[in-house]
Amino acid sequence: MAISLGESLHIGFADIWTRKVRSIVTIIGIILGVMSIMVVLAIVNGMNKSTMDWMQARGGLNKIEVERNWQYDFSKGGKAEFTLKEIDYIKSKIPEAVAINPKVSEFGLELARGEQTFQAQVQGVVPDMTVVDEWDVGKGRFIKDMDVRQFNDVVVLGSRVASTLFGSRNPLGQQVLLKGQISAGGPGGASGMQTLKTQTLTVIGVMQEKKMKAQGGQSAFGDNPLEYMNRRAFIPLSTMIWKVNPALAITSLELRAKDPTSAVALRKKTENIVLNLKHGKRLFQIVSAQEQMQQMKQSSMIFTAIFILIAVISLLVGGIVIMNIMLASIKERTREIGVRLAIGARRRDIFLQFLVQTVMITGLGGVFGIALGFSILNMVGKYLDIQVAASLQMIWVALLVSVGVGLIFGIMPAVRASNLDPVIALREE
Amino acid sequence: MDVIRINGMIKDYNLGKVKVRALCGVDLIIRQGEFVAIMGPSGSGKSTLMHIIGCLDRPSEGSYFLDEQLVSELPKSELSQIRNKKIGFVFQSFNLLPHLNIQKNVELPLMYAGMPMRRRKQKATEILDSVGLLDRLKHKPSELSGGQRQRVAIARAIVNDPSILLADEPTGNLDSQAGGDILEIFERLHKAGNTVIMVTHDAAVAKRADRVIHIMDGQITNGNLAG
Repeated sequence: MAISLGESLHIGFADIWTRKVRSIVTIIGIILGVMSIMVVLAIVNGMNKSTMDWMQARGGLNKIEVERNWQYDFSKGGKAEFTLKEIDYIKSKIPEAVAINPKVSEFGLELARGEQTFQAQVQGVVPDMTVVDEWDVGKGRFIKDMDVRQFNDVVVLGSRVASTLFGSRNPLGQQVLLKGQISAGGPGGASGMQTLKTQTLTVIGVMQEKKMKAQGGQSAFGDNPLEYMNRRAFIPLSTMIWKVNPALAITSLELRAKDPTSAVALRKKTENIVLNLKHGKRLFQIVSAQEQMQQMKQSSMIFTAIFILIAVISLLVGGIVIMNIMLASIKERTREIGVRLAIGARRRDIFLQFLVQTVMITGLGGVFGIALGFSILNMVGKYLDIQVAASLQMIWVALLVSVGVGLIFGIMPAVRASNLDPVIALREE
Repeated sequence: MDVIRINGMIKDYNLGKVKVRALCGVDLIIRQGEFVAIMGPSGSGKSTLMHIIGCLDRPSEGSYFLDEQLVSELPKSELSQIRNKKIGFVFQSFNLLPHLNIQKNVELPLMYAGMPMRRRKQKATEILDSVGLLDRLKHKPSELSGGQRQRVAIARAIVNDPSILLADEPTGNLDSQAGGDILEIFERLHKAGNTVIMVTHDAAVAKRADRVIHIMDGQITNGNLAG
């Protein structure tokens, strides 16, 4: 009858307790290895999560963007622009798109209310924008089809624009002036600037504030990397093109697919349609958030792999150290093993005793490593101000790894202990 | 009944190129309930004989029946169970585990026999009581005198009701007073029906036994039973 696992655990615990200092020294390598695995996984998870948050804030993984291809050599002819007719054609070809938002942007304009002015990025958009960007008004209403059809002189302000111009007063129904320099288009894209005839617009809505915690605490926009979105103002696409600047054309298009998976197919389809429309010239580049996300994940995977490798090496070193200490410990306890064999311990009992002891030591190292990992993550999160995401799953991984190291590196010493000849072992001084 | 029956036992050791014959044809019978002393100078082969009787080692040739069971043919893996159930060892240097208290030391054979913890604690306590150490249960071996330690070792040897009690120079590390106490315990156990085999080179100690077997150069020279 062999002794039970419970009995071995009992012996193992007593052995570890009797040799406290040695046990702790033994497991330092494992503690550090497990800790680094924890920390790396949490930081990588955190990075992925904040990338994801960023994507979500910009309209999620369903979003596809059609933009000017900066790699294209425009001296070969062609303009990265769509006419309204072309937009209608594209729309008719991709009925599976949930929403489409053709966009025109003008940068040199300012909105004014009395003395107060604000240099805003003014965009001409359609009602679909709120769907494509998953971004709705916080107050009032957004631009409606009617506004586009009737060339209405209305504006929806970004939250920063509204607070700068109106402070705490209610901007809805108030008038603002749109003035400044506009780019004069003309054939060949030859551009100069001319002064816009001042337009009076009625505020119909204010967008929800876009906010996100910056990774590392610093960014070009202070602590909110999405602040640039709050500095925009939206007017109907028709108003933008016919009233503000007739030289403007639609230069970008945003689509929303049903879900992230179909976004990839829709991106490819749209790419073909646009390529056909522009006679094979790659004037536009078309990217889906889903694919961008995958690319980012891929590049972060290399980073992860390197750190995991380092952690694994430290675990291997820890394992080898433990194996050596166990071998020395068995040498020292040869007589004890001889006595145990003489009074009836089987080889299996001795094997189990030492294997269980090694696994307990590394398991304990795992637990300490997890605890240390968490406290380090806490500090890293607080002082470096980056997002870390520790999960329950990571605790299991860390525990499993530490127990696994014990199993692997405990076998050899345990085999050696159980193979001792009782006569020789009893003779050992 | 013969507890031990050994016929034509030979034990060779390979020391590198040299082959040393430690036992050359030993025949030995020990009856149930006997108190036997085995005497011989060092190098005579008495330790080898004791190891084989104790199932710590196997003979090169010959047969060994313990309790009518042919143990000389058993594989090593089964010898540990024989040791656990049929043999109680008492060593010259006590061989208690230093980091366990004496109750736990006495429990060890029962643990390897698979007895549940509560029952073996109880049994160890009873046995330690019978050797007069009830008030020392939680002491470590290092906190006891030599005589007390040897009494713990005897308690550990008999706790599993073995067929034979095998003592190797049990008084060798003790002063005469403590040694006398230990021998008294052996006599008491013998009177209670236990088979005791004691290896010694002290003639005064050997005198306490029913029978003295002399061994010299790997052969029994005196004290064997006829047949």
